[in-house]
Amino acid sequence: MAWNEPGGNNQDPWGGGNKGKNQGPPDLDDALRKLQDKLNSLFGGGKSGGKSGGNSGGGNSASSGSSSGMFVGVLILAAVAYIWNAVYTVDEKERAVILRFGQFHQTVEPGLHIYFPPFETKYQEKVTELRTYNLRQQMLTEDENIVEVSMSVQYNIGDVKSYVLNVAKPLISLEEASQSALRHVVGSSEMYQVLTEGRETMGVEVRKRLQDYQDAYGTGLKVNKVNIESAQPPKEVQAAFDDVIRAREDEQRAKNRADAYANKVVPEARGQAQRELEEANAYRDELVARAEGEADRFLKLLSEYRREPNVTRERLYLETMESVLGTTSKVLVDVEGGNNMMYLPLDRLNQPRQAGQSTDGSSGLSQQDLSNIANQVTEELNRRVSSARSSTGRTTR
Amino acid sequence: MSQKGFSALLIGLVALIVAWSSLFVISERERAVQLRFGQLVKDDIQPGLHIKIPFVDNVRVFDARLQNLEVPSERFLTLEQKAVIVDSYIKWRIDDVSRFYRATAGDLFRANTLLSQRAESRMRNKFGALTLNEVVSGQRDRLMNEITNELNSVARDELGVTVIDVRVKKIDLPPQVSDSVYERMSSERDKEAQEYRSKGLEMAEGIRANADREQRVIMANAYRDAEMIRGDGDAKAAEIYAKAFRQDPEFYAFTRSLEAYRKSFNSTGDIMLLEPDSDFFNYLNNKSGK
Repeated sequence: MAWNEPGGNNQDPWGGGNKGKNQGPPDLDDALRKLQDKLNSLFGGGKSGGKSGGNSGGGNSASSGSSSGMFVGVLILAAVAYIWNAVYTVDEKERAVILRFGQFHQTVEPGLHIYFPPFETKYQEKVTELRTYNLRQQMLTEDENIVEVSMSVQYNIGDVKSYVLNVAKPLISLEEASQSALRHVVGSSEMYQVLTEGRETMGVEVRKRLQDYQDAYGTGLKVNKVNIESAQPPKEVQAAFDDVIRAREDEQRAKNRADAYANKVVPEARGQAQRELEEANAYRDELVARAEGEADRFLKLLSEYRREPNVTRERLYLETMESVLGTTSKVLVDVEGGNNMMYLPLDRLNQPRQAGQSTDGSSGLSQQDLSNIANQVTEELNRRVSSARSSTGRTTR
Repeated sequence: MSQKGFSALLIGLVALIVAWSSLFVISERERAVQLRFGQLVKDDIQPGLHIKIPFVDNVRVFDARLQNLEVPSERFLTLEQKAVIVDSYIKWRIDDVSRFYRATAGDLFRANTLLSQRAESRMRNKFGALTLNEVVSGQRDRLMNEITNELNSVARDELGVTVIDVRVKKIDLPPQVSDSVYERMSSERDKEAQEYRSKGLEMAEGIRANADREQRVIMANAYRDAEMIRGDGDAKAAEIYAKAFRQDPEFYAFTRSLEAYRKSFNSTGDIMLLEPDSDFFNYLNNKSGK
């Protein structure tokens, strides 16, 4: 049975006496003095016995004084070294675990402390400091694709007692558990989920899983955050993936161009349709207006005509004929009396007027033609006058 | 006095040495067994200060913390005969110290070897009964729990250790298989890219065709409406004309004819070949008009 089983501290073999010695300097001095005395007598006796047989009394006392002084000095030095070693500070970011005779004694908070080796053992760890474990690996997804994922795990020591006492290699535990958790989560996801929107949720899931593992192992580690930093297709297939991205852009571009075409064609068609309708409206309105105008004009004329039919009719007729004949070229032919063998160079008749219209300056030739025709016609007329009774006249404007 | 002191000191020293070698400390991280001439006299010594008989009792101390065992990469076949390379680890700790000592003589390395051999054969069986997909995804937790439990029951009986967890770290395809996976992934991406491009063209063509259709419909509708409007105009105009001209059709014919003459013969290019005895020339030959 153990001496110092829980609750049985009084059975400590060093007991109260030991505590008492350690408690006060006077007791310690006293004990040291006693020990020194004993040692003095021992060494002094040995020396006197070995070296000088006769002159024992005086020599003994003298040597005992100097060696005891040296011995005290050594002991004080040793005590100082012990104290120096036993006093330690725990930083704000640290905690220390003290085992007394192998049993857990206490967890030490920041500050100045002392412990007593070899009866106590101290394990001092940085607990609040966030540590990072980075990982970048290729792994299989649920749909048997391979992705390359890099992840960082931020953790610290949550429970220093567990960290120190429970697990042989807590950090290796964490690293292996990280790999396992990440691969588990990635292996339960489809590739596209991993590569695209799944990263945030995957990080949360990996963290939860990893923390569960740590709790099960009792490493005392606390996983603060798991970042899935990048998830990429492996470089062997990167080109194909890039091509998919390009293809998406191509798709969008084709669609945009078609949209541009549609945006051009349809509004233009609407514009043309508008024009068509407006023209039709214009046609209708014009036609109606003209009809109204013409009808009105006719009715007004008709009312005057009804008052004096013959005069109006005659006047209208004459005015029209005047207007008509005033602008046209005309040839008067007495068909009844004359013979029908009459030559009219109609094409030539047209020419001078056309030439005269198109180019005023170059009318020389046409004037000549004109006079030729005139001469011909005059000749013909003269011939007729002389042969028959009536004459025929020809005028050009 | 000096002889007495010397002997006292000597006794003190011997007592100290005896005390030192008869006392031992077991830390929280450790467990131990106490042997007397090879015979186990004390089992599972808890942390704390203990005594033994010097030179007679022998204390064997073991690491009682959770041990991490990395199982080396192994090649397994899945149900569909696909090869996978699996890395795993086992977490175990000493549970029954005396049994552990008897089984392994306290050798952690030996314990690890025994455990990993047992784990490997179990995993080989499990993997052979599942498809790759089941191993990689959904079934992983269940698989690991089964292996852990089975291994645990065996290990507890045989080795005196508790297996806390068996976990697959990596499940990878062998390199040559990876290559064909890459090729498949590439071809899948090619397929996908082609689909995007073709979809783009499809959509573009659809949009264009739709636009063309819309254009034609718009134009046709406009033509229809325009014709209807023109018809309206024609009808209305005809009605107006008819209403007016109905009052004296003969006079209308007369004035309209005159108007037509005026319009028909309005250029000097027109040549009129006339008989002198037409109505208009009534007075040309005869001033009485007869």
